[in-house]
Amino acid sequence: MANKKKSRFEARFERWGRGLFKFNPHLSDKVGLQARNFGRTTDLFLATWMGKIGLGIIVFFLAVVVYADLFVPYDRYASTDYTFEESSWEHPFGTDQRGRDILTRTLHGTKASLTVGLAAMAISMGIGTGVGLLSGYWGGWKDEVIMRVNDVFLSIPWLVLMLVISSVLDARSLVTVIIVIGVTGWSTTARIVRSQVLSIKTRQFIERARAIGSGDMHIIKKHIFPNVVPLIFANAILTIAISILSESTLSFLKMGPQDVETWGRLLDEAYTWSAATTGPYAYIIMPGLCIVTVVLGFTFIGYAMDEVLNPKLRKR
Amino acid sequence: MASFRKILTKRVFNALITIILIMLVNFLLFRVMPGDPALLMTPRQPGVNMDAIYWRNVETMGLNDTLDVQLVKYFVSTFQGDWGISYTWERPVIEVLGNAICWTVLLLGVASTITFVAGIILGKIAAFRRGKTTDVAITGFGLFFYGMPIFWFGIVLMVIFVSTLHLLPGSGYMESGTTPFPLTFDKVVDILKHMILPVTTLVVGSLAGIILIQRNSLVDVLTEEYIVTAYAKGLSEKQVMKRHATPNARLPVVTTIAMDTAFILGGAFQVEVVFSYKGLGLTTVEAIWKYDFPMLQFIFFIGGVAVVIANLIADIVILKLDPRVSIT
Repeated sequence: MANKKKSRFEARFERWGRGLFKFNPHLSDKVGLQARNFGRTTDLFLATWMGKIGLGIIVFFLAVVVYADLFVPYDRYASTDYTFEESSWEHPFGTDQRGRDILTRTLHGTKASLTVGLAAMAISMGIGTGVGLLSGYWGGWKDEVIMRVNDVFLSIPWLVLMLVISSVLDARSLVTVIIVIGVTGWSTTARIVRSQVLSIKTRQFIERARAIGSGDMHIIKKHIFPNVVPLIFANAILTIAISILSESTLSFLKMGPQDVETWGRLLDEAYTWSAATTGPYAYIIMPGLCIVTVVLGFTFIGYAMDEVLNPKLRKR
Repeated sequence: MASFRKILTKRVFNALITIILIMLVNFLLFRVMPGDPALLMTPRQPGVNMDAIYWRNVETMGLNDTLDVQLVKYFVSTFQGDWGISYTWERPVIEVLGNAICWTVLLLGVASTITFVAGIILGKIAAFRRGKTTDVAITGFGLFFYGMPIFWFGIVLMVIFVSTLHLLPGSGYMESGTTPFPLTFDKVVDILKHMILPVTTLVVGSLAGIILIQRNSLVDVLTEEYIVTAYAKGLSEKQVMKRHATPNARLPVVTTIAMDTAFILGGAFQVEVVFSYKGLGLTTVEAIWKYDFPMLQFIFFIGGVAVVIANLIADIVILKLDPRVSIT
């Protein structure tokens, strides 16, 4: 369905790529080609409505992270005497139990929540891809053993596992919570990667690579991994969304990071101070709405990526 | 048929290994935890010989044994149905949790039945109307709730129906101060009323997974050539859907339903906390806050086993549905 006439970035990126390396014609060609491919992907991506909306949402929240101080005039930590105020012009979403502006706290929560999502994604994708590649490539009994361990991770109720691990940690900082979420979330990725590797490794080009004397690690790195990337790219974006959700759930159950204020922690505080029954309702609505929007943004991007990178799906 | 039995044996064998590994993780995880369970069980009152109680606890908990002896003891007692004694309740875990499990099973049973039925139907509608407004509406609805923390959706429902409209009860599984037995008609109504919000939350929160997988696998099938052939033969849309499309789209749905067991279990935990529904989830969370390890160990174990069994059943169903699986 890709609309040819709407290629806005393909030509532009190529021009930029070539222009950047004008001094070296060979390099210029090479970079230009790469940039052009990237531009084409971008065009296809932006042609989907999900891609457009998703990217818009994430760019907006990144802007919030950078410019949070410009949006709101209040100090996020300083207590005031005006507690639990309903919304007004001064405080559009009211104030919390210590008289702090809720809008300010919500906007400042963006950074921590996004950090958790991105970092936990990096960890679980790293483990998942590594395990999947090796397990699929090795095959045999090693694969069996790894897959049984993977089964265990898939079967254990993730929430209980995360809760138990977090309760072990005495000081739960942002970093430890990221590690907990990352370490418990790799099994699905490993499975996807493994099944892809199983099908790739029977192809002829792998055999050829082996025939000319390539080592195992070389084959994995240069021939198998690049073929897995498109598949896990979309998965990675979705993992960000899931990690953000996991963090908010952990925080809501009082097992989240203690050193930063994430949206989940705001929700927990709001619930504990019974904002759900007595108000201000915005205290409980706003952080949740932010989570939903960000997660939706990443989900849209993930689905759009999937459509662009796995062309088999494009006919849908 | 022989290969069918062979595959089945392998699956059951794998499931057993998984369960044993889960038990091993379960054992080790709670051994590396900081804190001394014997000390936790020792009451701090003046005038009591704390040392004696402490060492008696060490003795009864078997903490003097070496790790391997403890491991063997753990496996033996697990299979004998001896699940340990809760630290906070000071009663056998199974006794404390028995009640809670019943309520959670009730909640989960109702919620997942509705989820699966509604998800499959909505997914089918979306696939048949793919690209049209209905499809976008259903898919969009699915994705929107997919990205919602389940506990938050519960809170929002609570704000609307409990705090603002005062329509439904917002906490507990029935009116406080009453017991379910003897069961009368009024009590059934009361229990149902208390279930409306938690069930709605769970259903809406976990519906998306089923909708999306049903839609996508159907859409996959609908682009196959044999569907075109079926139309060319002059079959009506209804017949094509019923005879050619739906059966082939069934497999991923079955797998997803099995995989969703763990997810819905996690959702139930959150819902129970929000609505103070005294089931397994709320008890678990309380146990975590109080470091009640025997309870956690048990919950960990049955949660894992439930998911393993669900997956095993899904595998068997798939074997039955798809003859190709047993050939390869």
